[in-house]
Amino acid sequence: MDPYPSSSQIAQKTWELENDIVSVDTPATSSSADAASDAIFYYDDVAQAKFQQEKPWANDPHYFRRVKISALALLKMVVHARSGGTIEVMGLMQGKTDGDAIIVMDAFALPVEGTETRVNAQADAYEYMVDYSQTNKQAGRLENVVGWYHSHPGYGCWLSGIDVSTQMLNQQFQEPFLAVVIDPTRTVSAGKVEIGAFRTYPEGYKPPDDPVSEYQTIPLNKIEDFGVHCKQYYSLDITYFKSSLDSHLLDLLWNKYWVNTLSSSPLLGNGDYVAGQISDLAEKLEQAENQLAHSRFGSLIAPPQRKKEEESQLAKITRDSAKITVEQVHGLMSQVIKDILFNSVRQSSRSRAEPSEPEPEPMVES
Amino acid sequence: MASSSSSGLTFKLHPLVMVNISDHYTRVKSQMNPPVTSTSCSNTNGNGNGEGGDSAAVKAPAPPPRVYGCVIGVQRGRTVEIFNSFELLYDSATDSLDRAFLLKKQELYKKVFPNFYVLGWYSTGSDAEESDMHIHKALMDINESPVYVLLNPAINHAQKDLPVTIYESEMHVIDGIPQLIFVNSSYTIETVEAERISVDHVAHLKPSDGGSAATQCKFLCPLAAHLTSIHSAIKMLNSRIRVLHHYLVAMQKGEIPYENSLLRQVSSLLRRLPAIESEKFQDDFLMEYSDTLLITYLAMFTNCSSTMNELVEKFNTAYDRHSRRGGRTAFI
Repeated sequence: MDPYPSSSQIAQKTWELENDIVSVDTPATSSSADAASDAIFYYDDVAQAKFQQEKPWANDPHYFRRVKISALALLKMVVHARSGGTIEVMGLMQGKTDGDAIIVMDAFALPVEGTETRVNAQADAYEYMVDYSQTNKQAGRLENVVGWYHSHPGYGCWLSGIDVSTQMLNQQFQEPFLAVVIDPTRTVSAGKVEIGAFRTYPEGYKPPDDPVSEYQTIPLNKIEDFGVHCKQYYSLDITYFKSSLDSHLLDLLWNKYWVNTLSSSPLLGNGDYVAGQISDLAEKLEQAENQLAHSRFGSLIAPPQRKKEEESQLAKITRDSAKITVEQVHGLMSQVIKDILFNSVRQSSRSRAEPSEPEPEPMVES
Repeated sequence: MASSSSSGLTFKLHPLVMVNISDHYTRVKSQMNPPVTSTSCSNTNGNGNGEGGDSAAVKAPAPPPRVYGCVIGVQRGRTVEIFNSFELLYDSATDSLDRAFLLKKQELYKKVFPNFYVLGWYSTGSDAEESDMHIHKALMDINESPVYVLLNPAINHAQKDLPVTIYESEMHVIDGIPQLIFVNSSYTIETVEAERISVDHVAHLKPSDGGSAATQCKFLCPLAAHLTSIHSAIKMLNSRIRVLHHYLVAMQKGEIPYENSLLRQVSSLLRRLPAIESEKFQDDFLMEYSDTLLITYLAMFTNCSSTMNELVEKFNTAYDRHSRRGGRTAFI
């Protein structure tokens, strides 16, 4: 009689089918799946110490290729980054290594602000870090510091000049070390997490092949900084993991969380960011136009290289404008859906052919 | 021991706290039962983990440990919002939490989050126990009315509710002796947008693989991802309303006795529709709508001019007017 459990079951089955998930039914096997997924939480200090001594990364600058971030670390980093607003914040990550992957188990914030102008921002936070690590070890978190993260609110996930020098220093003295950048503004605007993990090449090293990185739009005032240093580091693949208890909790959380999903209004929070992006695009367009004007009169002997540059410049601008538009449209879609759901019903109306709202009405009114 | 709270405080819990507690518990449990050797009770699973393999000897795992910690957050008036938490040491000799450690950690957290105060403590287990009151009282000098957050780590797939309960302490007279007992309080889940997005992101991962398959679908089509999440939320809304509807139909048919308080609640809920109807809202809404349409128009323009530019460039390359042969030449 009560369809409530069945619809959620159907949804879950559909989702599992679509994602090729092998379901574990019997408690025995499910506990083994749990044990396997929770195995990552075990800290084996003997194996870690051995790895530290071997130093396989010393010979290969490209040694680490993957990063695994725990659900907890991701949540903490994003919340901390967002709480900083438009100020860059930073923190440290704790974890361990596993072959060619760096595993980030936890993260904590540092009481330092504005990392973009100081190389040794970390020096101020050493005391805090030492205290925190000590208390953590006592409380049962045995991992070491394995990297640092900071936020670039609104201007994308990449390493600036200061970041590159900081990271190169770290990679000399504190290996293995990882740099993670989070953009909380773009996360909220796009509806998906903007995060990047990087490691720098040592001084003078030329990477054998040019890595293809995912395109992202960078504001005009930062684009020079980006361009100068973008060859000095490479990005690592990020995957996430969570424990069995985490996934159980998160599944159940959905029962209460759907309200927040429906009530979120991305358009309201990010107005000035969008305005900033559009004006930035306008400036880039002007720049592109100037280049275009030059080449038209600057004779057709202009090397084909330059023509290709402007074209790709204009194409980039088009792509960026499409991206902003898409995000705006998504935000508007949420608003329109909410309007239809909650605003278009009227009291004591004859029941129209609308989804489910007016159904209970006649019951109570009579 | 747990009855309904009457203090009138509303509690808001952030998902970060739950993930924190769960992580603490998993860590401690995993250190106690190392999965490396074959002493773990694992059957063969298809997962290519380095260590998990066939089990020769099945050893019973140690009973799940209890972990303790402190919750911090903000209290504004009658609303208590729990934002974050950290671990604490439990001293079994004195049956209390290590005070020096607590103060040290609190100091560290104050530096980074100056607005947060110690609101209470957390633990894992299935029910609040008598011994917990001892710890609870010890915390009362930091916060006059601390909260006790209890997480039940047993994974029970038949469960529909979050296994998290929040207890407050109240003075009740039992057998003529005034005593502090734990009373159950209700809470809501509160979140900020960034937290919601990351929780959404990790919630859709399957624990075994790195989540690459599921997340790739999200990355490839952000429209699909966005609409899917809204769709699932609306489906939940729909199913909940159907439950109410069936209940009310049954009440009308007389199968269930009338419950006036519920009827009042449903009635007040329905009177809140439509949600907003004022002129001002319509104006703002339409303005936002037209803004978005303008942006789309602008993007289309940019796209068109870019395409036109490409066309002109290609044309110029193909039909080079200034070439020595003059006039039209075929593109070589």
